[in-house]
Amino acid sequence: MIKLANAQLWVHDQDEALDFYTKKLGMEVRADVTLPEMGNFRWLTVGPAGQPDIAITLMAIPGPPVMDPETAEQVRGLMAKGFAGTIFLTTDDVYADYEQLKSRGVEFSEQPEERPYGIDSGFHDPSGNSFRLTQVRELSTV
Amino acid sequence: MAFVPPARHLLRAKDLADARYSEPLEVADLARAAGLSRAHFSREFRRAFGVSPHAYLLTRRLERAAALLRATDRSVADICLSVGLASIGSFTTSFTRTFGISPTAYRAKFPPAADYALVPACVVRLYGRPQRSTFREDNGARQG
Repeated sequence: MIKLANAQLWVHDQDEALDFYTKKLGMEVRADVTLPEMGNFRWLTVGPAGQPDIAITLMAIPGPPVMDPETAEQVRGLMAKGFAGTIFLTTDDVYADYEQLKSRGVEFSEQPEERPYGIDSGFHDPSGNSFRLTQVRELSTV
Repeated sequence: MAFVPPARHLLRAKDLADARYSEPLEVADLARAAGLSRAHFSREFRRAFGVSPHAYLLTRRLERAAALLRATDRSVADICLSVGLASIGSFTTSFTRTFGISPTAYRAKFPPAADYALVPACVVRLYGRPQRSTFREDNGARQG
């Protein structure tokens, strides 16, 4: 059986990301390990409480020799423009979570709105990665 | 905190257009959100996203209006106001120029919302935003 374990996001700054994902989104730190033997590579993962087997890996954009400067610049640019990727989160109470996240300083680009599939909202992380926060409608009621 | 790429500030302005298109928002407000002068902001926004901030804001509003025409039975006047546009005349003109048909004809072309596949709102926003930009403010600038 194949299961989803980790999904990786590039982040602009791992400390800034850690602060955002834990203090603002309310996720847990799953791993925060720095490896001196690998040029201080930092394996940083976070995940939602209640989903211990799924984590998001917050990875710093590496320099040479892992990634050439031009590619790193392209990744940074795509991310900053909001086109690096999207994480889809679900909740059972989007209005309550919207208010809570907003009060912690998350800037929503879309407040919760009714859609055919549920109530949907959206925001970006400090790096520019896109997020959806959705209260999915029971398919039987659609 | 590390240096923030300039494009991240432009994304903040774009987020503001997406979040508050229903309010009387203007390009000057977007420029402020990005922390840039209006002229510099318009140039940089176009360079990053391939469209002027004015055209982005207007097409965001038209995309939302089109979605409301498809998904609700609210009046054209009501929809015009609820996407942040004050003049129904210029709304109808912009809409017709962009989609090729009037708001009323557009609505008649589409089946009720319940017939639609459950496509996420972010997809509707990205793919539903009209691309045509023949707006006066764009004259003289390169079209992407």
